[in-house]
Amino acid sequence: MTPFQRVRSILLGLVMLGFALLFILDHDEDSYRFIVFILAAAMTIKGLKDIFFYFTMGRHMVGGKIILFQGVIIFDLALFTATLSDVPKIYVLLYLIAIHAFSGAVEILRAMEARRTVDGPWKVKFSHGIVNILLALSCLIFIKQTNTALIIYSAGLAYSAVIRIISALRKTAFVVIR
Amino acid sequence: MQMDFHYYATYCAAYLAGYSHEESLDIAYSAQFVDHCSRTLLAKIKGPSNAATTQLQLEMMDARTDPVGLQDITRIWSSFHFLPKDLYAVKPKCSKRYLHKYRLICGPNGDLIKKTVELAKGKPLQSVGIAMHVLADTWAHTYFAGTPSLVINNTNYEFYEMFPEGDGYSEKRVTFRHKTSVPDDPENSIYTNSLYQRSENTIMNLGHGRAGHLPDYSYARYRYLPAWGEYEEIVKDNPSDYMKAFTQMIYAMKFIRGDIDTFETEKYDTQAVEGRKDRIKEIIEKRQLIASDDWKAFGEELSGKPVTEYAMDAYFEEYTGSSDEEKDDTFLGKFTQGAIAHKGMVINEIFRSKNPLAGFAKLKKIKED
Repeated sequence: MTPFQRVRSILLGLVMLGFALLFILDHDEDSYRFIVFILAAAMTIKGLKDIFFYFTMGRHMVGGKIILFQGVIIFDLALFTATLSDVPKIYVLLYLIAIHAFSGAVEILRAMEARRTVDGPWKVKFSHGIVNILLALSCLIFIKQTNTALIIYSAGLAYSAVIRIISALRKTAFVVIR
Repeated sequence: MQMDFHYYATYCAAYLAGYSHEESLDIAYSAQFVDHCSRTLLAKIKGPSNAATTQLQLEMMDARTDPVGLQDITRIWSSFHFLPKDLYAVKPKCSKRYLHKYRLICGPNGDLIKKTVELAKGKPLQSVGIAMHVLADTWAHTYFAGTPSLVINNTNYEFYEMFPEGDGYSEKRVTFRHKTSVPDDPENSIYTNSLYQRSENTIMNLGHGRAGHLPDYSYARYRYLPAWGEYEEIVKDNPSDYMKAFTQMIYAMKFIRGDIDTFETEKYDTQAVEGRKDRIKEIIEKRQLIASDDWKAFGEELSGKPVTEYAMDAYFEEYTGSSDEEKDDTFLGKFTQGAIAHKGMVINEIFRSKNPLAGFAKLKKIKED
């Protein structure tokens, strides 16, 4: 990581941390809508990116159709997420539980796979997985409380921000030679 | 390819091409040093960082994969280990972005290998060694590209090792694992490869990482589905390819020495190995992870002199102990100059083909006093 990338990563981490704290301390209906919007936007970009990648690159690749399927599913999820602002919060919570539990399980499986290699950075992946599972459990436990989704999401955001800052400060193995 | 071919077999080829024992050792050292001359090593000996011919695993893990970072990776790996076969290859109905990567697929007997060999003519032995490394790798690393790319370099479970049996071959599915701490197990066709990563530009998708070290083993014959191959199977016959690599190296070095006027692709000096072909074939086909001992013994039979073990740091003291003015005349000084010249040539050829993946090289004008 270059010094510029480090600074950029730290700044982005601080902005994310700021938003997370703001949502936790001062939550209202608008911040709830904002989070759903961000989630939907992020998934729309990822889904469209995958679909675009398939048509420009992946379609020539053996087994490349999986990229198209993945893109379509993510895009579909994005559209579903975008509709969530008009439905009861309990559905949003169930949705968050499913998303966090699924991605947590996938991260843990990937971490276990990476652990088998000497160079696999498995610890960060594993902790990501555990945190996702914990977030899913928290959603389940506090399902009846209002604004749970907002607080859980903010906690996840804060966690990602801290990990980003730590990664940016991580000592690199070799000095970059210019 | 590994040290067995880049050092010991290159020594044998150089000797058969007419070089003396000492000259052959210098060529062999230079050929092998291409696999060690990383930026980290150059920093240690205070050499020019743009002469790097390889990247350490840890350097790569730290490398950026934005366009500029990718250019840096591509410059090193395409120039020295995965020389593109055809920079103007045609692939109908594909995007430019795909075509740029497709055109970097490595293979033997392309225009660039001709230019590589021609560039080494009239240059110090270090440049000859660099050219021989590049030439040999075009045979081993065929069908993979020296740039990170999922859509080009990926492989899947359709990967079988082939064993000669009667008039045909028997087959065994290759088991890939991700344990770099455990050596490959040729007896059971279990090999280590890099992890599958969905991202197009991840370093895991560089070169033949997804096929493990199979391309580097001279005994290996296998069939598989390359990611770029439109579901057409490819059979890779390393014993045949390694023999061609060996005889092409002899032919190329005879040209560099001035024994032949022109270097043409698809030409091999089979005459030079006449009477020794079975011996070479035996070494190449022996199922072993490293064939250094066998090649070393063969080299010593050829020259009647001991082939010294490769020692990476053999010329470090000479280089670090020289003043800035003297450095270019040292062994490693000549190596770094040769590496920069070769890298510049390949980068410029890639750039001339309107492919932006390796960026462009600046020509430095030296003022004369």
